[in-house]
Amino acid sequence: MFNTAVVIQSIVSGLLMGGIFALFGVGFSLTWGVMKVINIAHAAFGILAAYIAYWGLVLYGVDPILSLIVSLPVLFFAGLLIHRFLIQPITRSKDIVVASMILTFGLAIILENLMLVAWTSDERLITTSYSSKAIFIGEIIIRVSSLLAFCVSILGIAAIYLFLHKTRTGKAVRATWQDPEGAALQGIKLTRVSMIAFGLALASAGAGGVAMAYMYSFNPPAHNLWLIYLFLVVIVGGVGSIIGSALAGLIIGLITGLSGAFFPQQWINVLLFGLLIVILLIKPEGLFKS
Amino acid sequence: MGKKSSFFLIGLALLAIFPLIRPPAYFLSFLFKMFLFIILAESWTLIGGFAGYLSFGHVAFFGIGAYTSSVLFQHFSLSPFIGALPAGGVAALVALIIGYPCLRLKGPYFAVITLCFAFVVDLIVKNWAFLGGSEGIHLKLVQMDIQSSRSIFYEIFLGLVAVTLLYVRRVQHSKFGMGLASIREDEEVAQTLTINTAAVKIKAFIMSAFFPGVAGGIYAYYISYIHPDIVFDINISILIVLMAVFGGGKSWAGPLLGAALLTVVNELLSLFVRPEIARVIYGAMFMGVIIFMPDGMVAFFSRRRRA
Repeated sequence: MFNTAVVIQSIVSGLLMGGIFALFGVGFSLTWGVMKVINIAHAAFGILAAYIAYWGLVLYGVDPILSLIVSLPVLFFAGLLIHRFLIQPITRSKDIVVASMILTFGLAIILENLMLVAWTSDERLITTSYSSKAIFIGEIIIRVSSLLAFCVSILGIAAIYLFLHKTRTGKAVRATWQDPEGAALQGIKLTRVSMIAFGLALASAGAGGVAMAYMYSFNPPAHNLWLIYLFLVVIVGGVGSIIGSALAGLIIGLITGLSGAFFPQQWINVLLFGLLIVILLIKPEGLFKS
Repeated sequence: MGKKSSFFLIGLALLAIFPLIRPPAYFLSFLFKMFLFIILAESWTLIGGFAGYLSFGHVAFFGIGAYTSSVLFQHFSLSPFIGALPAGGVAALVALIIGYPCLRLKGPYFAVITLCFAFVVDLIVKNWAFLGGSEGIHLKLVQMDIQSSRSIFYEIFLGLVAVTLLYVRRVQHSKFGMGLASIREDEEVAQTLTINTAAVKIKAFIMSAFFPGVAGGIYAYYISYIHPDIVFDINISILIVLMAVFGGGKSWAGPLLGAALLTVVNELLSLFVRPEIARVIYGAMFMGVIIFMPDGMVAFFSRRRRA
């Protein structure tokens, strides 16, 4: 039963999956860290982008990656609007974290059910012309679509990292995050910076959702399960940490991949939830923060 | 006896004699559902409203209760009407075990861990053959005509509503309740005031699990077939939070009002629109409440009256 090839195969697939978890979780971590908003609807927006990609492919033969040209700006602007009209009214409440959770819970319910009305609960799978193709390295099989989704994720995370570290707006986001009052004293407009960060986070949710859809079949209620992956990424990696999210994604992917080789499928989620509970109890600030 | 208490008693008495006029079973079922949500929202508010620890996994205690009484009925022929008490006990015990570590977490972390807890319990039950796995458990039906059995379940739940309400109201005005309120306002200050916050929180959590456990134990017998997707449905957790927040979680009257009102809204919606649209409206209400009346309806309107 202990087969080296199987183990290496699980590690490779796990890491590919992990990169996708990381992109999917990074924006979730960003909004939580910067503006203390836990966006429960993050995964639902990922599913929305996955549907845009799916229908683009099925109806017009557009490659899912190309569909991002449409879905990312749409989600970015949706993010600006949501921040302006839904998040800003609650920023003055005493406990914004909890208020934002309840608010975005509502948003997620709305989104899930609108998608159910529009596209039913049938499970969809993105099947492209290259879905069945794979690269063989010795005994290891790497699916082309997984590799592609992984590359999108790496590019996405790199783009967010560069934005936060190299651009003025990005630096303003980070300053706000570290010290909101100090940043305001420097003339940074907090609401504007938060709006942009929120839009960016939703766009990253879209990219992550499409990448997820390369690996998993999805339907509107699937966002509940995907949400748990998001919490795992953020809590393992530490709230608001980009590098932490990236590493956490890889670790979670690795665990999922490896446990898939040894446990029956239905126990993997129990294992992941259990892991999340244990980490919350022993180190709620994340594994990568001292 | 104050005016409020007499209103309470008269309302209770009227509801108690309601089955005697032999109304259509539909109304009994509808009120039964309302009672269920009042019990759940009231007990949730002990920890979620009074102490400000938002539990998003409260459905787990309801489900644990349902499974406990079902197993006792199936394997030991213990009537669920009696089995409901050990069902509440098991739910309370689970709350003690998970509450001890989890209540050290604050704010969103507590919300997340309770949500995960509910998912884990659901997944474990689904994969546990002894509990029927994903097949669920069929219970023997009550040997009675539907009108009488509905009336009996109705009266039992009405009694449980009364007990829960009285308990939650008493807690609110007790030293225990003050302790919870001080934890909600500022836990560190509460500690410096020599309030044993850990003990107060766990007591509230245990009691807030006990009533849903009892209700779940009876509910299992009522629907006579239980399945993880029914009794661990995460939407119930969300609904409980919504109802309590909608009415206002800081006082006993809030969840009562929220649960009663939202059950009526839910029933009306289910008559006129399809379930998905009903849930869209629910989601919008969630958002409306948190934006326009973050302290709930009771606080919103009593502030209006004073202003």
